[in-house]
Amino acid sequence: MKLTPDSKILIQGIAEPLASTYTARMTAYGTKVVAGVSAGQGGQTLDGIPVFDLVEQAIQSVGAVDISIIFVRPYAALDAALEAIAAGIRQIILITGGIPPLDMVRLLRKAEATQTLIVGPSSAGIIVPGKVLLGTHEPEFYSPGSVGLLSRSGNLTYEVAGEMTRAGYGQSIAVSIGSEPFVGSSVVQWLEILAADKNTKVIVLVSHISHTSSSDEQAAAEYIVATLDKPVIVYFVGRLLPQEKLLGPGNALGFWRQEAMLASPQAELAAEQTPENRKIAAFKQAKIPIAERPSQIPDLVKKALKKSG
Amino acid sequence: MDLLEYQAKELFREMGIPVLPSQRIDNSRDLKGLQIPYPVVLKSQVRAGGRGRAGGIRFAENTIDAIAAARTIFNLPILGEYPQVLLAEAKYDATREFYLAVTLDYDLRRPVLLGSSQGGMNLEAVMELLQQVVVDQEFSSFYARHLTLKMGLQGSLIQSVSTVIEKMYHLFVQNDLDGVEINPLGVSPTGELMALDGKITVNDAALRRHPALASLAAKMPQSDIAKETPTDIDPGKFLPIQNWLNRDGNIGILCNGTSLAMAMVDLVYSAGGKPRLCLIVGEEASGNLTPASWREQLEQALERLTQNKNIKVLLVNILGNTAASQEVVAVIDSYLQRKVNEMTEHPQRMTRRVSTPSPKDSRTRIGDRRPEFLTLLPQFVVRLAGGELDKSQEPLATMPVHWSDNLDDAVEQAISLAKAAAKSRSGTPSTK
Repeated sequence: MKLTPDSKILIQGIAEPLASTYTARMTAYGTKVVAGVSAGQGGQTLDGIPVFDLVEQAIQSVGAVDISIIFVRPYAALDAALEAIAAGIRQIILITGGIPPLDMVRLLRKAEATQTLIVGPSSAGIIVPGKVLLGTHEPEFYSPGSVGLLSRSGNLTYEVAGEMTRAGYGQSIAVSIGSEPFVGSSVVQWLEILAADKNTKVIVLVSHISHTSSSDEQAAAEYIVATLDKPVIVYFVGRLLPQEKLLGPGNALGFWRQEAMLASPQAELAAEQTPENRKIAAFKQAKIPIAERPSQIPDLVKKALKKSG
Repeated sequence: MDLLEYQAKELFREMGIPVLPSQRIDNSRDLKGLQIPYPVVLKSQVRAGGRGRAGGIRFAENTIDAIAAARTIFNLPILGEYPQVLLAEAKYDATREFYLAVTLDYDLRRPVLLGSSQGGMNLEAVMELLQQVVVDQEFSSFYARHLTLKMGLQGSLIQSVSTVIEKMYHLFVQNDLDGVEINPLGVSPTGELMALDGKITVNDAALRRHPALASLAAKMPQSDIAKETPTDIDPGKFLPIQNWLNRDGNIGILCNGTSLAMAMVDLVYSAGGKPRLCLIVGEEASGNLTPASWREQLEQALERLTQNKNIKVLLVNILGNTAASQEVVAVIDSYLQRKVNEMTEHPQRMTRRVSTPSPKDSRTRIGDRRPEFLTLLPQFVVRLAGGELDKSQEPLATMPVHWSDNLDDAVEQAISLAKAAAKSRSGTPSTK
């Protein structure tokens, strides 16, 4: 991710109610929002930001942009992201959630082919406290400091940031990488970015039990042990949700994950090989401190900082 | 959402995947007019797996047998679910059975084709021989052929099974499914194929762009979770409910975020409390938040949770900025005021009623008659973290609500109130 306070930002779907609220807040925070796109609204100005019908027109008028933040509705998100990629944008933040998985498959194929970084979907974006705000983070909870916060959640990120801020631990950056089964950028990718970030001394990873995949967290635990020389603290939510509840109808369970269920009572399958158990086990095995609750995180940060000197 | 077998087979038939002649049975009397020649198989239409072992699949040689079998199956719950319909199907003699599925691999972030040369109820055998082909780029038939070869198929089966896989893949993509499964795919002595059982899981996020599937979903038997909250709500304004339900729980949770909800459930459980269910409001719930819809969502959620008689304590946690917190205070204030006025004006509608406040003072502040009020609705514990709220503000001070700006404290408060409520119900009535 190439991100500085001077990065030029495009907002796709700027006329959506959510976008207009947050665009004003980003601008007020000092973020350089240079243009917005909303088909049919071209030629207007919203909060002093020029609006265009197409991404291409926006770029022709304001020059290359560094990052596009997408606020369009779920079924329009694939198209918006493809439009941004076609116009040469290589960093995209998808605030939109609820994008059908097969749309994400198409988008990620394109992103891989064009080396585009996709943050999200269902992301609250990125905040560098005191410097730049991209997305929907509530700046009130954040303060500048040296804790890098990576989160697979939206507003639980503020909860954790707020606990740290109250205890005097500010944040170097907070990234909401998205809470859905499919996310563009992985925990490992962001750990690598934070490993190289001079302002980050300790990393807090907030994740949740998802019943679809565990490989990202397992890979993260391996990366932390093998390569990372910064301390990491993990906070998992959903640990006490009973297994059978997670396996109830209505979950987006891949058949592969649930493993051939036609003939088998689901309870039998829930037993040991659940991804959630695998996820937590990976961090336990790696002896990475696991917080039980948000209010415990500042203490663990304190210990980690002391240890690392 | 899992479709029932007969619904899945309907989609198979439309796609040209071979299925047996079958008939939907809504009542055991329907069997008198059965169009399919005996012997037949009667199958319980529930979403749970393990129907065969549970006794939900029976053979019948004639009408008398069939009616008796149907009665038994209608009265047999499988993993707690009673069938509302059965499927009567011709019997089929397969010499071989395969397993086939198309689903998404969330680690690889690609669709995968799965196949096993061993199908049927013995899942261990199915899994042991399970083969996988990742659909890495745009789909083409060769992916399906590749799978059949990995499964060890030979001769004409390569082409015929590939064709079925290809049709499953198209069904999967055209309908945005989470998965399509055929188990078993029967092979007759002459090499004919037949999807003997099948399963389709629909992706909830994609449902709105598939009206036909959405209407199937609307006809599905209600889940326990749906039964817990009133359903006279515009489905377009559907509020996500965390997908769990603790039948012993008595704490309702309302918050603005899925992960936040999970965090709260963890905290409540680990402190010894029992959550019942959880509603999520806010941006991620609607994807289209305007100030009006935010208030509406919040009010609707309060209504649904307070009407649930199993919920003794309502724990509300809305994380936002100062303006959002003030909005929450205002919504709860006006909601509680309205409730009190409704209860005063329409005492007959009250279900939790213990004593009647006199109608003449229906406009007085809630705080003035806190004791009566508390018996009618769950107790409220509200945690607001964003910004500094002025604690001397009138609504905060006069509402029968426990306010907190600390999550741990709010959880503790909710649990102690819930325990007190449970005690007062089982023991002597409290004299608050």
